[in-house]
Amino acid sequence: MIQTGLIQSAHNDLVTDVSYDFYGLRLATCGLDQRIKVWQIDETNGTWRVEDDWKAHDAAISRLSWAHPEFGTIIASASFDRTIKVWEQTAGEIAAQPNGSASSPAGGSSSTRWVERASLVDARGTVRAVEFAPRHFGLKLASISSDNHLRVYECLEQTSLATWQLAEEVDVLRLPSSSSPSSHSVAFATPTQTHATLEGASASLVAQAIQQSQAPPAPAPSGQLAARPGLGNREADGGWALAWCKERYWGEVLAVGAGTGGAVKIVQLSSSRRPTTLLTLDPAPPLLLPSSASDSGAAGASGGTPGGAAAEDTSGRSAITSIAWAPSCGRSYHLIATGGRDGRVRIWKLAPPADSDAGLGLGLGGEMDVDGSELGGGEPRWSGSVVAEFDQHKSAVGRVEWNITGTLLSSAGNDGRVRLWKASVGNVWKPAGSIGVEQGEDAADDVDMDGHPASN
Amino acid sequence: MTTSKHLNLVPPVVEADHVEELVQSGRTTAACFSPYNKSLAVFLPPNPGSQLQGGSGEQDIYFASSEAQPSSERRLFISDTSIIFAAFQNFLRVSSTPENEWSQRDDSVRTIRKLATDYVNFTKECWIHASQATKENQSSLQFTGDHYRTLYTCLSLFVVLYVPDSGLEDAPVGDELMEWLNMHFIEPSTEEGDHLSSLEKPWEDETFWPYLLRATMRGLVKAATFFLEALSRHPSNYLRRLSSQLIPLLSDQPHLQNFAAERDFAHASRRWREKVKAMRVELTNVPESDRRDEYENWWDRLSSIVGILEGRTEVIEKVCDELGADWKELSVAWGVFADFRLRRQDLPDVVAQIVDDVPPDPTDMEDMVHASLFGGDPMKALSYASQLDPWLAAHMADIMQSLGLIDREPVEDTGLTVRDSYMLAYAEYLHSDAALWRLTAAYMFSCGEVGVQCADEVLLRVPLRLGVPQQSAGEDVTGVLTDTLRDVNAICFEYQREEVRRSVCKIAAQELMQKKEYGLAISYCSSAEDWPGLGRVVDRVLDEYIISGPENFTKYVSGIAPSLQVLNTASAAQGVFIYRLMFAVRYAEFHQRMSCQDLQEAAWDLVSIFQEETAPKSWWGVLLLDALGLLEHKAALLFSYPSACLLLRRLEEVFTRSQHGSGDDYLRMLNRKAHSTPEAALNQLQAVRLALARYFARCTMIGTGGKQFMGRRSEIPA
Repeated sequence: MIQTGLIQSAHNDLVTDVSYDFYGLRLATCGLDQRIKVWQIDETNGTWRVEDDWKAHDAAISRLSWAHPEFGTIIASASFDRTIKVWEQTAGEIAAQPNGSASSPAGGSSSTRWVERASLVDARGTVRAVEFAPRHFGLKLASISSDNHLRVYECLEQTSLATWQLAEEVDVLRLPSSSSPSSHSVAFATPTQTHATLEGASASLVAQAIQQSQAPPAPAPSGQLAARPGLGNREADGGWALAWCKERYWGEVLAVGAGTGGAVKIVQLSSSRRPTTLLTLDPAPPLLLPSSASDSGAAGASGGTPGGAAAEDTSGRSAITSIAWAPSCGRSYHLIATGGRDGRVRIWKLAPPADSDAGLGLGLGGEMDVDGSELGGGEPRWSGSVVAEFDQHKSAVGRVEWNITGTLLSSAGNDGRVRLWKASVGNVWKPAGSIGVEQGEDAADDVDMDGHPASN
Repeated sequence: MTTSKHLNLVPPVVEADHVEELVQSGRTTAACFSPYNKSLAVFLPPNPGSQLQGGSGEQDIYFASSEAQPSSERRLFISDTSIIFAAFQNFLRVSSTPENEWSQRDDSVRTIRKLATDYVNFTKECWIHASQATKENQSSLQFTGDHYRTLYTCLSLFVVLYVPDSGLEDAPVGDELMEWLNMHFIEPSTEEGDHLSSLEKPWEDETFWPYLLRATMRGLVKAATFFLEALSRHPSNYLRRLSSQLIPLLSDQPHLQNFAAERDFAHASRRWREKVKAMRVELTNVPESDRRDEYENWWDRLSSIVGILEGRTEVIEKVCDELGADWKELSVAWGVFADFRLRRQDLPDVVAQIVDDVPPDPTDMEDMVHASLFGGDPMKALSYASQLDPWLAAHMADIMQSLGLIDREPVEDTGLTVRDSYMLAYAEYLHSDAALWRLTAAYMFSCGEVGVQCADEVLLRVPLRLGVPQQSAGEDVTGVLTDTLRDVNAICFEYQREEVRRSVCKIAAQELMQKKEYGLAISYCSSAEDWPGLGRVVDRVLDEYIISGPENFTKYVSGIAPSLQVLNTASAAQGVFIYRLMFAVRYAEFHQRMSCQDLQEAAWDLVSIFQEETAPKSWWGVLLLDALGLLEHKAALLFSYPSACLLLRRLEEVFTRSQHGSGDDYLRMLNRKAHSTPEAALNQLQAVRLALARYFARCTMIGTGGKQFMGRRSEIPA
């Protein structure tokens, strides 16, 4: 591992997300300072220069996503101000700004400018993740917010980017879910207690943020927000994450995690029917059916939670903070990585139903089959299993990400480490290096800046 | 070549061993992969569980990579060896056709050996080059000469053991191994030899006998005989005689390469062994009392030499132990002396015994690769090679698969063969340098469906750098293609990645549109057969009229007009979008004539745009307003009576539809142009209505109306 660069003082407050554009030549960053900055790399020396910088939201920005360049130079930003905004970079001299809401021009002599094309305000909670759909599904984006709703928007007019239709809006927790026992491999029958406690979670950043920006509590259709004790911490304890399936063949499929539970749902969108859950990835499925969960026998990481809600771990200890769907790159299966408050990085292998095998459960080499029972017997089923689980972070994992070929996974956690994982030739996932932010014991030993071969 | 597995970023955020402060300060870590190369952006987002609420001050973003990107000599090495790789791929493609598969098997092996030898020679060159670099240059090398030496030793051993010359597959391997050993691991050293040869009585030196033993064991006949000759000055009669008898024995040892058939070699070897036995008899006849000089028991030493020649394993082992020789030297000596007919396939058993006693150095990947190759375990060799250098594992695996040394079937789980896995690992290493995208893709393309799709991802993300020079529109389109875009297109074509090519073209079109290179954008849209995209480009051109007026508009249209002709001749299903392009061109023509005060032609243009129904409805308002000035032209009546009627019908349609609430369909562009409301737009159009009324009045006054009009083109009949 070598350090290849540094942007000093990128933001004046904590950076909440950085996102590379399609080519990796530009970097969009955002932070608690409510600003988005777009950086451009100087390929001759590898340094980054700020190209644009503007105030984008009225609260901290949570995530950024670049649209596929086929659609232009477009960024979506999700914020704690409950909105998603769509920004387009336009040539500087364009005078007309359709919405009359142009961003302030970037500092410096920039000749480009980002224009706010749309503001999507449907969320009734802080928006925690946003991701543009793979290009073959058109200009669409999916978002998940702390109201547990997955919202998918479709751009109706690509030329102006002004009109976005809310194509789907579903409460993730209320999606028809697969019956238990859910997918797991045998190794995970025994849940493990971790160190992933939430230090001082009493009045968290996000809880405060939401309290400040909160309108009168939205009339939550489910009513569950209001009904739940400890609502104030919910924002802090939960995890909200999503990732699109990159492959076209299976239609629009997303992995979504919401709330304080540790399950990830694989959701299929369809223009002809309501979204359905193809599969639930749950490392610690309740041993009992949700209806009888009141005796808190719910498995594993949720243990010891008073008044646990059905099928949901209210401690948030197993909440999923990050999901990454690997590009399938010709593999016959999918890889999904999840990171959670339980300190675990998991790699799930999803096998889509075989064409010739519709209606038959597909067990993968003795692993437990996942029963998408809600779909009824006639439909092909997906199966999933954990192919790797790592607890090296020993504390909450905040982020997982794949490289562009799905061969290298990064995870980052509260242990101050970014860890890399890679499959060996025998297809066993193994650690492949780590990056820390501590003062090095002996910098010379740790940092091999020149890449000269280690002594041998 | 492995860099350290852990990196601490600079400047550090917390003190060593105080990582908990990170969480206490309300922060955690996060990282994001760059699609550009293998680097990661690392930053410190807020930890949602903390009490912190902003105000953390300035924050850095770090960048790190798991690999140093190839530079200087390494890049050269990579690109030069890729040529051999390409030749190899090409050979495999040709030889895998059914008619070639078996008939030319010998040829195949010969070709594989030739290419493998090319790799060996190339690593050798690179080693020499890197080793000869001056001190100043040394620092500019990414890898030391020693690194290339390890590649050289491993590859050349691999070739000796696994890619033998045609016909030698089943021949004794000892001599070849000895040659390999002597080439790479020189013992005894030249300095020792020089030192001893400068002495009058070399046997008095303590290094004399070890030198002689080692020279014998290494088959270094010249050195050994030189010092045996020196013993002709030794005071002992016995030793003088024995050493002189030993000299022809050493130089007469049969070597396989000197025989046409192994049978002859074996026969000669047996006869030679007989002579050695006779020597042993001579040796035992030396009286006990005469076996020492004042320095040494020379007899013991000479007995060891004869023991080696006799092929006594216990003697060879003992000598190796005394000399500190490693398992390699022992194994090779075994193959030359103990079992001179030792074959490749028998070597692993022998080596397995030897490494039990004299194991290889587990911390030395080079040694481990050697041991695995000697031990007949290609898989293990690859595993160690990958730790030494992904280049080595990939290229060795490539040859191994072609020879059937490793499984050719993909692992069910991954869809990758062993070779593909190592090849992809190497390709990913190459991806750490974005400039090597061509090689990255080429290596990936050789790795089955998974590799192909990985290559797709790489190709899609090659920055196109469409820094199109500003130039007059309408020039030769191919003249301004960037090299990169052309290359990507060519590679997609070569590997038949049409979907990738189209996507790249779409992106290029989008970028070109942003740069207002509309002509190029349209040609890329049509290359991608992206007709909706083409429609968007035309919309953008039409927007230019709304935003910056007719002058710029006509300029931009002149850039896209040639593509209309191209598209018209190509009969693809372009649908509605081609009409929009036609409209843009016709409308630009209209403005061109207006600016030249060619009003009569302009009027005809306007009418025919309506007549041919190329104008989108949203533009009707604008077009009708354009008619206003022409209708009010005093000098002549520019519209025929039927044409004026056509304008009136269109105008009435706009008014009627507006009353029914669909005014926006007709007035959208007019509203945008004038920044007005639909009502204001309708008011403007009232002026056109009035102008038309006056126009009809003028027509009536003139009477028949025929004279003033010039019939033209497709003028509708009255």
